[in-house]
Amino acid sequence: MRRSLLLGLLIYGLILSGLIMLRGELLALSLPLVLYLLGGLLRAPHEIELKVERTLDAERIGPDEPVAVTIKITNVGRSLEEVLIEDNLSPQLKIQDGSARHLLRLPKGKIASWTYKVSGPRGYYSFPSIHVVSSDHLGLVGREQTISTPGQLFILPPVIRLRHIAIRPRRTRVYSGSIPARMGGPGVEFFGVREYQTGDSPRWINWRASAHHSTALFSNEFEQERVADVGIVLDGRIRTNLFGNGQSLFEHSVTATAALADAFLAQGNRVSLLQYGQFLQWTLPGYGKLQRERILQALAHAETGGSQIFSDLSYIPTQMFPAHSQVVLVSPLHEDDLDMLIQLRARGYQVLVISPDPVAFELSGLPMDKNSALAARIVRMERDLLLQRLQRAGIQLLNWDVSKPFDKVVQGHLGRPPAWMRAVGGIL
Amino acid sequence: MSRIALFGSLVLGIGALTLSFFEGGYVMIAQALGGFGLLWVVSQWRHWTWFSALGLVVSVIAGAGGLWLGLPMGWMIVGTLGGLLTWDLTEFTRRLRFAAPSDEVSTLERAHLARLTIIATLGVFIGTAAMLVQFQLTFEWAVLLVLVAALGITQLVAWLRRGGE
Repeated sequence: MRRSLLLGLLIYGLILSGLIMLRGELLALSLPLVLYLLGGLLRAPHEIELKVERTLDAERIGPDEPVAVTIKITNVGRSLEEVLIEDNLSPQLKIQDGSARHLLRLPKGKIASWTYKVSGPRGYYSFPSIHVVSSDHLGLVGREQTISTPGQLFILPPVIRLRHIAIRPRRTRVYSGSIPARMGGPGVEFFGVREYQTGDSPRWINWRASAHHSTALFSNEFEQERVADVGIVLDGRIRTNLFGNGQSLFEHSVTATAALADAFLAQGNRVSLLQYGQFLQWTLPGYGKLQRERILQALAHAETGGSQIFSDLSYIPTQMFPAHSQVVLVSPLHEDDLDMLIQLRARGYQVLVISPDPVAFELSGLPMDKNSALAARIVRMERDLLLQRLQRAGIQLLNWDVSKPFDKVVQGHLGRPPAWMRAVGGIL
Repeated sequence: MSRIALFGSLVLGIGALTLSFFEGGYVMIAQALGGFGLLWVVSQWRHWTWFSALGLVVSVIAGAGGLWLGLPMGWMIVGTLGGLLTWDLTEFTRRLRFAAPSDEVSTLERAHLARLTIIATLGVFIGTAAMLVQFQLTFEWAVLLVLVAALGITQLVAWLRRGGE
């Protein structure tokens, strides 16, 4: 019940009782209440006219990094005796220092300013408005207003620096890069031998091969290195990411995706991102730092979702990836995904699967007893079988135990092999 | 500062009512009021802000009942006023909980208590003066006064809500 209404009812009750019973004392008893009510109503706040500015010292930060939010409020209207000003924050953001809510007195023309610091987990956060409640000193009459002050904050996933990821798609783009192009030409790696042509450097002449022929010289040919199209698919399906006790592998998948996108873009490749979860979220292919920013912002928005349509990978829109390009799937994997991945491979895509290991992840949160060990053994066998099938289909695979650092695991399995191994053909 | 004033007004209000009912021979009512006062203290400790509205209603009813029973009018006014101040300060301390540590809470408290003191003092004086000046009303006058008072207060509240244009 509103305070002024309660007070009004009591006053009316006393006056009516006094008049009905013809007792002046009851009328007199109502006078302090009437005075109080009039005191509040006379000082009731007028229209709230505030000019509000909000500034963030950064619009993109990493998880749990503090960002300073400064609010500056100018009262351009009449004096406000008591005003509560609250910045509407996402509940996921935590205030590290200061306060987003202030109770103060704002005389006409006064400027109030304060700063507070917030941090939070990966995500996109909007700062839509500031809520203002003004009332008289007695709190009898209040006015509320929501002032729109749009602002945004991207808390981007951490980017782990990867040195080099060895991929070998069937088709590359025309620009020079670091991906072997399966074509002879200027390069570093030995590709083959051909007859000497005018303009070839004498140092390219393969004297051993030329010694077998009395009339011709032969030159070594090198493999061209170019940039490639890389399509990264981030699996955000609940069925593959969420486990018991609310544990999720998705944050690890997002971290891996950010690291991969950063590494591929740093190599000069054209990279796109497809988030596959409750719906499809497509980040168009692009190069360079701008594309890196686009992908990181898309990853800031990324979240798991459930959908009957996208419950398996069969709705991956393959037409969005250029023919014979590199497709990288970041997914804990489900046994139903096998057919789709084999189909992708059959269509000519070079498929790399980065799979955060769900068995090791879930086992780490379970008590180590006989039943858990048996269950883990069964699930491990099923997963090993799935991974073996994928590898037999020619799919490059990285099974990542998320308790180990991603960069170390990638370096060990997908880094550039040493020169001696490349010389004996020990690549991919 | 506000909390001291709050407990002071609570003790004063309920104490005045309880004491006067006790001295008037209404021991049961005095005991009930005393028990209610204790509950009110507990409600403050447990932050049951809604309880203060009930407290105000009980104080006003007890004050009116006491006057009807012929108890001393000074105590009744003090009791009712104590209930009113406790109700007000409960709401005010609730609002103060929204304040940040850096806010000038003491300035707000001073302004609030100053206004409340003025209202309380005026209330006591006017209430007491009104009780001392008594005259007999006929039924017709009473009806007329009811209509005028109701209409007048409604118009006044409406005018104030419009911003006193």
